[in-house]
Amino acid sequence: MSFIELEGVCKCYGPRRVLRNVNLSVERGEFVSIVGCSASGKTTLLSIASGLRQADHGSVSIGGKALAGFPRQAAIVFQSYSLLPWFTAFENVRLAVEAAFPDWTVARRNEKTEAALRMVGLGQAMAKRPSQLSGGMRQRVAIARAFAVDPEILFLDEPFGALDALTRATLQQELARLCQVAERPVTVVAITNNVDEAIVLSDRIFALSKGPEATLGTAIPVSLPRPRTAATVLHDEQAVRIRVKIAQYLTSHSSKPALHGRPEAIPSRALALEVEA
Amino acid sequence: MKFRQALAGLLLPFAGILFVGLLWTFLSAKVSKDLPNPIKTWEESKLYVLKPLEKRGEMDQGILLLASYSLKRVAQGFVLGAIFAVPLGFLLGSSQLFFKAFDPTIQVLRPISPLAWLPLGLILFRQSEPAALFTIALCSMWPTVINTMHGVRAIPQDYRNVARVLQLSAWSTFTKVLFPATLPYMFTGFRLSLGIAWLVIVASEMLTGTPGVGGFLWQEYNSLVYSHILLCILTIGVVGFALDRLMGLAEMRIRAV
Ligand SMILES: Nc1ncnc2c1ncn2[C@@H]1O[C@H](COP(=O)(O)OP(=O)(O)OP(=O)(O)O)[C@@H](O)[C@H]1O
Ligand SMILES: [Mg+2]
Repeated sequence: MSFIELEGVCKCYGPRRVLRNVNLSVERGEFVSIVGCSASGKTTLLSIASGLRQADHGSVSIGGKALAGFPRQAAIVFQSYSLLPWFTAFENVRLAVEAAFPDWTVARRNEKTEAALRMVGLGQAMAKRPSQLSGGMRQRVAIARAFAVDPEILFLDEPFGALDALTRATLQQELARLCQVAERPVTVVAITNNVDEAIVLSDRIFALSKGPEATLGTAIPVSLPRPRTAATVLHDEQAVRIRVKIAQYLTSHSSKPALHGRPEAIPSRALALEVEA
Repeated sequence: MKFRQALAGLLLPFAGILFVGLLWTFLSAKVSKDLPNPIKTWEESKLYVLKPLEKRGEMDQGILLLASYSLKRVAQGFVLGAIFAVPLGFLLGSSQLFFKAFDPTIQVLRPISPLAWLPLGLILFRQSEPAALFTIALCSMWPTVINTMHGVRAIPQDYRNVARVLQLSAWSTFTKVLFPATLPYMFTGFRLSLGIAWLVIVASEMLTGTPGVGGFLWQEYNSLVYSHILLCILTIGVVGFALDRLMGLAEMRIRAV
């Protein structure tokens, strides 16, 4: 049995069935990405996998135990950042550090908080409240808050969605480094709508078909040698194959008739699903 | 253009005051001979206004001193009310069971006038001071209760999720998430509550005859010094306005976060 295991998960919102028979298994220490179109149910899937929402059918287990609530030793970056507006960037991160390391000294917690914020390039903006930060800066605070607690499991919901290409690449490398350097294995379930990002970071990629009744395709393994960068991945043969595979899955399971037919004919640049504005 | 706006900003309120002053003069001249006109009111009250902190007797005191007694009582009653109102609001907002059990009772208690509560307070406490506080607290707490309740219900799921994800203890969840999220609503309640407390103070002082703006007003009515009644009315209005403005500023600051 895998570390994180979803079996036959279904989820309806009222009469609308968003997820149908979703199966997902993630090994300990593995980095798994889920790509899919907007509104296909990715956030719903992640909130079920992390215990924030209950599935209507099916089972979710982590470490062999049925999941009841958000697991300890896990952290999440919400798509909407979910920072507390009455706290500064520093206080937002420190709140997580305090909760995760209750027996640390104040000085040590502050140090950890600062390090996390500096890692995402916010050393200068620590004293600002979320309302005084740009969207991308808020997202980075949310990332810092998740990374600061040394999680064993990371749930990421489009964690770099609001960032420019350069910052995005930097943080991707940070994330990759974090997953490798840590003494204990970090298991990551990341949602992204950027296929190249998924290829750079993941051990396996799953595509979620377009909703309603979205379901996961079979895993697409990525065996490119690490460390990978956006540049090395761009023209790699395997990466190109993966892009095509994902596009094929997304289009063949899509309700849009215009995209049926021969996805191979789509130019490779267009296959990287672009980030929404 | 700016100058004209500023001028209008000053002139128009002044024109409003002038209009009411003329109406007042007209009423005292034509309708009720007992009503002193503005000039007579000023002549007879200026001792109280020009020496606002002088204490000549139990009731015979400068207007600021009288107002300060009332304000102190209002502050005590208001704080007493808030001490009960905030937890009550939190319970009503977070527990459906509690809400169902107590909402009807609260809806019945809410519209009861201070004039009705005061005798009950006097029976309970046998002294005018605690009875007045009891009345102020009881009458003024409801807006805080209701607004706190709405505030708790309006806490976005996002914030609750943060508390769950960070595995905050119940106490941390309350102090770091729920309470700050509700604070703006609470302050709206506080402002309304303070307004009511100030309304209630006059009534309760009148009935109990304790020194303060309301007590003075009632005494002067009984001694037929009508100009002092007008002085009290103006004082009550101005102080009430100032209180509301102060709370408004506090509320703005809280909301700005
Ligand atoms: N709490 C909810 N109540 C009702 N419907 C919901 C709720 N949350 C999501 N939905 C619906 O479920 C569907 C999937 O939503 P979800 O947020 O999971 O999509 P997503 O794949 O994360 O989209 P995006 O890429 O835009 O973030 C959408 O049609 C949405 O309207
Ligand atoms: Mg989403």
